[in-house]
Amino acid sequence: MIKIEKRNDVPMALYFFTPFIAIILTILGGGIIFYILGFNPIEALKFYFITPISNLYGFSELLLKATPLCLIAIGLSFCFKSNNWNIGAEGQLTFGAIVGGGVALIFYNQEGFYILPLVILAGAIGGMIFALIPAILKTYFNTNEILVSLMLVYVSKLLLDYLVVGPWSNPEGFNFPETRQFSDSSRMPLLFEGLRIHAGIFLALAAVMLSWFILYKTYLGFQIKVSGLSLKTAKYAGFKGKTMILVVFMISGACAGLAGVGEITGPIGQLHRMISPDYGFTAIIVAFLGRLNPFGIIFASLVVALTYLGAETAQIFLQIPKYTGQVFQGMILFFLLASDYLLFFKVKILSLKKNDLRH
Amino acid sequence: MATDLRISNISKIYPGCIANDNVSLQFKSGKIYALLGENGAGKSTLVKILSGVVSPDNGEVFLNEKNLKLSSPLDAKKNKIGMVFQHFNLFETLSVFENLSIDATEDNESLRVRVNEILKKYNFSIDLDVPVLNLSAGQKQKVEIIRCLLRSPKVLIMDEPTSVLTEQETEELFISLKKFCDEGILIIYITHKLKEVLSLCDEVAVMRKGKVVSVSQTQNERVETLANKMVGQKLAKIKKKINISKNKDEIFKVKHLNFYSDDPFETNLVNLNFSLKKGECLGIAGISGNGQNELFQILSGEIITPNTSIIFRNKEIAKLNPKQRREYLMAFSPEDRISQAAVPELKIYENVALNNFKSSNFFEKGLVNEKKIKEHSKKILSDFSVNTDNVELKSQFLSGGNLQKLILGRELITAPELLICYNPTWGLDVGAINYIHETLIKINNQEKSTILISTDTEELLKLSDRIAVIYKGKLSKIMPSEEVTPEKLGVLMGGGSID
Repeated sequence: MIKIEKRNDVPMALYFFTPFIAIILTILGGGIIFYILGFNPIEALKFYFITPISNLYGFSELLLKATPLCLIAIGLSFCFKSNNWNIGAEGQLTFGAIVGGGVALIFYNQEGFYILPLVILAGAIGGMIFALIPAILKTYFNTNEILVSLMLVYVSKLLLDYLVVGPWSNPEGFNFPETRQFSDSSRMPLLFEGLRIHAGIFLALAAVMLSWFILYKTYLGFQIKVSGLSLKTAKYAGFKGKTMILVVFMISGACAGLAGVGEITGPIGQLHRMISPDYGFTAIIVAFLGRLNPFGIIFASLVVALTYLGAETAQIFLQIPKYTGQVFQGMILFFLLASDYLLFFKVKILSLKKNDLRH
Repeated sequence: MATDLRISNISKIYPGCIANDNVSLQFKSGKIYALLGENGAGKSTLVKILSGVVSPDNGEVFLNEKNLKLSSPLDAKKNKIGMVFQHFNLFETLSVFENLSIDATEDNESLRVRVNEILKKYNFSIDLDVPVLNLSAGQKQKVEIIRCLLRSPKVLIMDEPTSVLTEQETEELFISLKKFCDEGILIIYITHKLKEVLSLCDEVAVMRKGKVVSVSQTQNERVETLANKMVGQKLAKIKKKINISKNKDEIFKVKHLNFYSDDPFETNLVNLNFSLKKGECLGIAGISGNGQNELFQILSGEIITPNTSIIFRNKEIAKLNPKQRREYLMAFSPEDRISQAAVPELKIYENVALNNFKSSNFFEKGLVNEKKIKEHSKKILSDFSVNTDNVELKSQFLSGGNLQKLILGRELITAPELLICYNPTWGLDVGAINYIHETLIKINNQEKSTILISTDTEELLKLSDRIAVIYKGKLSKIMPSEEVTPEKLGVLMGGGSID
């Protein structure tokens, strides 16, 4: 007979260690999949996890991909910690990019130091406004934020589609679905000549520091923590529940908006249909793999960014479709949830033999 | 045929706690046995072993000298051991008969005949075709008992059966139990209520810290002797307090409190009006589920009701949230101490910070002042004799009594003018109950007022100056506690009326 019991006290150290177990299991699982597909698993895994970062360019690409993931996941951690399930970060990213990109397009033929800060600010505000929609609907109309935030993703993506083929399309662009190139003053400064890594990474690092401070050192952070553990207690303590929901969604949306604007002013340089390879969804995995802890999220964003790079390398060298990246991301989440289950519950196999012996 | 149940050298060890330490007991049919003990004394573990839910590490159970193998609840059923738990195992939306037929082995027609025989024999009046959710707690319990009787049990174990019953229902239950006993069913009655032991049972076994400390005839015992055995020390008896609240100023007044909810699991409140004087304790009695939850939440500000007037210290506070009400020196101790009054995963000092009143400066300019919160927490731990001085301890490691002391300490350290508490001693052991009762009396003596919402009649009679009963969301007239007897309360709690 199998019996499942809740563990009373889960050691903190183990709680932060299980993500590593999940990663190891993901790599093993990946090896098995490659083997079944007829590849040498060791070689394939090498192409996946080592080759992409074996040179400086690869490493900078890793940071480039980790930047938006980290930013979004930091924002999401505010929502998730307080029991608000914002899964529409992809939409907030897109809307932030639209608003930020719109401002950049206004200045397409101008130069000036003030332009980039304006563009970035517009992106953050755009994300914030878009995240406020599910938040307001949740607080005042009792809707489910999971559904609303998810469905709004498609709204913003279709809006972007419309803009880049319609009103905002490049008049000299031969009807390609894209806008003009932004002016240099709207672009994130590059950190190194020849590498794509840009100043957006500092935004992500600042978000990490700031979120750590807010979550662990302020009254807002305390309220978020209590609400996440027990909404009943938050109500009893008299926390302003509605305000808090609005605030966490705004923080989350602003971070996603920043990530979006970082992409279009960084490596992309214009608006087109594919500004994000689902960073907003993948960041949900990053947030949980990083245990909703700001520093854990840095680590997790690097790991998950590697699955993006590995998928591209594997496509080039092994002709495996790059969607295997999503398989790896899915496996990480799966193994994380599975090891969490074993962390919080213990499975007892009761042998009937022992009882029989007594008689 | 006579039944003889023998428990021999049963031990059960949980990590960090010996639940049963070499327990041996003998029961014979024709008598009602009480198993008495505080919470955590090991009663429940022993019962779980007898009903097959838990296997003992050591020891054996004999029924009529046959060694029983009880590795699942099914084994207990097969061996004709019946069990009525404190929390009912019934499907609320199914009818009484459907509930009974779920684990029956016969066809519905013959089952109905047998059930009707039982109803007639024991004079139970229950409509078999109404959904269980329409039944009172007493009737639900009867359904559970019928379920056991259908299997013609040799042993019937009742776990804290009266905690949800009115006085009348309790009397009816006792009459039925005595009948069962006369018919040769061996009855084991588990409780921590001393008076019930004396009025119902023939023999009493007292457990303390996993061990049986005494087995005796109830006729040789009194409330005090049993209490002392249970606690293991002489209890200082709390004096019933003197009514000190005559000719004092009115401090709190509720007018036209109405609450309507669409949720069928909530109780509507109908036009409650009451007021409270300085230094007074107003008791609100009632069986749980008659609107106490909703009343507490409205008084604390968790639910804001329109058109209600709540005047506290001459100010209208009906629209304020709990935090704002605290600033006017109100304090709240909810019933659910484990998941509402405190968060088990949080450390003690973080739980203390939940009562973030303005002058505490716990959060200056939006920042956490950890040092201040910890100092304050240390003071609470020592002032309210919580048995730890480690403010970093997660509160899930505190026992119920210590957690309640911490919560009460947190609420009282602001010296509030009014404390509203709901079942403050629910599930606690005698020592902790005494401490909390003393504390509540002390604050009344300091001219502070309390509203005590409680399902424990004894507690209400001991602490209140005036008592009202809440029944189906309506409040009875408020009576001076000298005029109230447990019987009167029982009538009102069951929906009856007195003149």
